[in-house]
Order: sequence, then structure tokens, then C-alpha cells
Amino acid sequence: MDWGWLFSPTFSVFGLVIMNWWRRFYNKNAIYFTAYFLIVPALILYIVFRVYPIVYGGYISLQEWDGLRPMKFIGLKNFSEVLFNDRLFKVSLLHNTIYALGTVTGKNLLGLFLALLLNERLRGRTIFRTILFMPVVMSFVAVGILWSWILNPAFGLLNTLLQGLHLNFLIREWITDPRIALYSLIGIDIWKWTGFHMVIFLAALQSIPQTFYEAAMIDGASKRQFFWHVTIHLLVPVTTFNVLISLIGAFNVFDLVFVVTQGGPFHATEVVLTHMYIQAFKFYRVGYGTAIAYTLFVIIFILSLLQMRIMQGKKYEF
Amino acid sequence: MRPHPKIISQVFIVLILVLFSISIGYPALWMIFSSFKTGGEFYSNPWGLPQKFAYLNYKEAWKLADIGRYFGNSVVVTFFTVFLVGLLAAMAAYAFARLKFPGSTFLFYSFLISMIVPAQVTAVPLYVLIRKFHLFNTRTSLVLCYTAGGLAFSIFLLRAFFISIPRELEEAALIDGCSYLGILWRIIFPISKPGLATIAIFQGMGAWNEFFLALLLIREPSVRTIPLGLYVFFTQRVIDWTYVFAFLSTATIPVIILYILLQRQFISGLTAGALKA
Repeated sequence: MDWGWLFSPTFSVFGLVIMNWWRRFYNKNAIYFTAYFLIVPALILYIVFRVYPIVYGGYISLQEWDGLRPMKFIGLKNFSEVLFNDRLFKVSLLHNTIYALGTVTGKNLLGLFLALLLNERLRGRTIFRTILFMPVVMSFVAVGILWSWILNPAFGLLNTLLQGLHLNFLIREWITDPRIALYSLIGIDIWKWTGFHMVIFLAALQSIPQTFYEAAMIDGASKRQFFWHVTIHLLVPVTTFNVLISLIGAFNVFDLVFVVTQGGPFHATEVVLTHMYIQAFKFYRVGYGTAIAYTLFVIIFILSLLQMRIMQGKKYEF
Repeated sequence: MRPHPKIISQVFIVLILVLFSISIGYPALWMIFSSFKTGGEFYSNPWGLPQKFAYLNYKEAWKLADIGRYFGNSVVVTFFTVFLVGLLAAMAAYAFARLKFPGSTFLFYSFLISMIVPAQVTAVPLYVLIRKFHLFNTRTSLVLCYTAGGLAFSIFLLRAFFISIPRELEEAALIDGCSYLGILWRIIFPISKPGLATIAIFQGMGAWNEFFLALLLIREPSVRTIPLGLYVFFTQRVIDWTYVFAFLSTATIPVIILYILLQRQFISGLTAGALKA
């Protein structure tokens, strides 16, 4: 092909006009170009691996699909099965609820308690804080394996300790007894995360101006009164956050259960996500598993909104 | 003044704290002790220090489980996740913080809104997507998923951080003829080190410890990350417990050492969300 025309005088004028137009357009909008250049890489990743799966998941949840053969559209049948016909889903959700009640109260009460202790002027405060926060940096897999041994009925540390303290009546089969396995998991979760909530409470406590305390002391308030009438109210925002985080965590629990009990014994520790995992990846009910996950998401979403609504009402400004 | 009750209450507080610290610190210490004990000593002397430090468990565990490879995989995945999230989030956050362009508010909030959807919810579609892209059984798939998952929160944090930087610096640079990219590279990145460190620790810990997606997206033993390798090793229960503890210690000790050295950054990094909330 002959490209000579590109260099012909007529075309060069045309080219110059276009180049000039583009340069002016670019200069006028340089800021926009820069901005989009900065955002586009993040945006692409985000759309492909975050937005698209959310939408596509909604689509899969309406199909009967084993992951191999073509999908079959069945409308909301998966969801109606999850909500009305799946006994195990209800059991799992109940376990999640118990888990949430146990961990949310446990982590936050203990966290607040320890934060109040650490808020005193003490020697070695940093050391305590360092140790108490440490499990937060460990993975749930590591924590789960460590505790599977501690709670091992035959040789585990806990039962050995109880025996040593002559508290034999407390000895249990911590993770193999269906009646208490779930509570053992709650205990492990609390062990791992209390330090996290403690640090957040502590930061909030330390942000309370000293003048508040002095003013209350001048007015003749006792330390206890100060706590119940002032501190508690100032902690509402941070408590809202702590409760929200632990609530969401409790409904999304998977790793710990999967490592320590695999949902057993006899589904005694089955939670929604382990149920989802088994349905989607063991029984190849891919559409159905997705429907379970989406149902869980809606439940978490509603609970979070409710929780925030309730606690925002109690907020004090200063 | 009566110092007496005060001292008593102080002693009391310290006692409670010591008790809690033991119940949290001892299991971790005990894990390390156990990893050095021989099989027999593990059962006969469960509580104390090992009589002599037996490195044999480590040797055996490394041989049985290919720990070196898992460790390398975790390092690679964590490094690239942190690098990508840091770079991409800082770029986007700077645009959101400083440049006015059509759709900026909409885009920013659409990033934020994705934070309410936990990664577990999109597990199945993500799995299908990764298979379609032929990224199944690759470390790349983990890096991409972790990066995409971490972007929203990091952009949110870094944007707040950038807004708190005084504008005068950048204006001076603009007048001197520096481009926006030049400003980002020469001014914003260097003074945002604390913000970037927060992101790095938060995302790094997340990637290093992540289990759920790794379980779904990795089947091939040679690309397993540490949590996955640990889980598989643990479920083959025929293996001696002391080996499990050797593996457990290998996986945990580096993180704990790093945490103790950089504890201020770790604590602020991992609780970063709360301080902004």
C-alpha cells in the first residue's frame, strides 16, 4: 500500500488541524485525563473482581446449576428452598445467632473491661497491651489448630489443667461433644479478638479530655459516677463500631469452624458459610450455594442497619 | 490522702492483667515450646520448657509439607498484594482527594458501597470467574482477588490522609511547573509514608492470613499459601503433633516477631477503620 498521501500538502494541513484540536482539547481537560488515568487501574480491578461477581452471583442464584452442564433458569426457587425447606440452613442460622450473641457480648465486655484497666496509670502498660493484642496477628487457621490441641479431650492442655487443679467435674470433651462444641468455638473467637476491641476502646478512652474528669471531680462526682454518667455515653460511637464489626464477623464465620470442627459433630457447629461451602463445592449445587450466600448477605445487611439505627439514637455529641 | 486503698487497687488491676496476659500469651509460647519437644516429651511434660531444643521436628515438618515452598508462595502473594493495593489505591485516592472531575463523587461512593458486601458472599461467582480466566491454581488469582477486595478500604483511608496534607506544598510545586503525577510521586508519596504503612500492614496481614479464597481457588499443592498448607497438613491427622507445632511455629513466629518490632504500626494499622469511623 502506498502511504505517500499521508505526506501530501493537503493532508498535512488536515493533520495539523486535528493535532491542534486534540492539543487544545487535551490542555483544556488535562486535569480530567490525569484523574481518569489515576483511577482507571483501580476501577478495572474493582469492576472485574468485585462488581461483576456481585451481579453475576445474583444471576447464578436464580439458576439450577452443577457448575458443568448448562444452567437452567428456575426463578426464585433456590431462595424459597433456602428460606422454607432447608432445615440445615435454619439450624446454621441459629448457630450463627448464638455465635453472634456470645462473641459480640464476650469480646466487647472483656475488651472494655481490659481497656478500663489499661487506662489507669500503670507500669508495664505497653507490655500488657502487646501481649493482649497478639492473637489478632495470628491467622484463624493457626489459632484453630492451636486450640484444637488445647481442647483435645484426651491430652489437651485445658483438661490437664483442670485435672491439676482438682476440678475434674469441669472436664469436658470440648470440641467433640455436640452440646458444647459451639460454645468452645465462641470461646476461641473471643480469645483471638478481645485484644482488638480492647485497643479500640482504649483509644476512645484516652481521647476523652482530662478536663471533663476534672470538672466532674470539682462537682463532687465519684469515679464510678463519672464512668456511668459520662464515659459510657462518650463511648457510644466506638461501641457501635465494635459491635458492628463483631456482629458482621460472627455471621461470616467460616475459617475457625472449618478448621476445628468442620461443622460437626452431627452439624452441631454448622454455620451458614460452611453449609454454603458444602452445598456449592461438595454437592455441586452451585446455584443453590450462591442463593444461601446472598440470603446471608441480606440478613447481615438488615442486622447492621438495625444495629446502627438503635445505637445512633443513643449518641451524645461533645 | 490515703495511699493505701489506691495501692491495693493497683495491685489488683495488675493481677487481673497478668492473668489475662498469661491466658493469651501462654498458648502461643506453649506452641513454640512444644515444637521443640520429642514425641514422648510432648506427652510426659506438656507444660514446661523442652529439655533440649530438638530441631528434628522442624526438619521433618519441612520435609513432609514442603513448608519452604508455601512460605515462598505466601511471601510472593503478600508482597504483590501490598504493592498493587498501595500503588493503585494511592493513585485513585489522590484523584479523589485533590482533582475535580465529572463523576468523582459517584465513583468514590461506588467504591465505598462495595465494602458492605463481604468477600465470602461472592465466593461462588469469583470461583467461576477465575476458572473462566484460566487463573485457577495460580498465585495471580489470589493477588488479584485480594487487591480488588482491599482497594475500597485503602482508597477510603488514603483519601482522608491526603486531604489532611496542606495544599500549599502542592500549589508551590504546580507553580514551579510540576505535573500532577510529579506531585504524586515526589511530594505525596514521600510524606504519606505513615498512611501507606498502615495500608501495607492491614493488607499484608490480610493476605498473609487469608484462608477462605485460597481454599477455593488453589487445589495444586505447589501453589498453596501457608494457611492452606497448614490446614492440609493438619487434616492429615496421621502426622505427629509435634510436627504440626513445628509448622505452626514456622508460620506464626515471623509474624509475631514483626509485630513485636513494629507493634505501634501494627496496632494502628489493624485498628485503622475504627479511628476513622
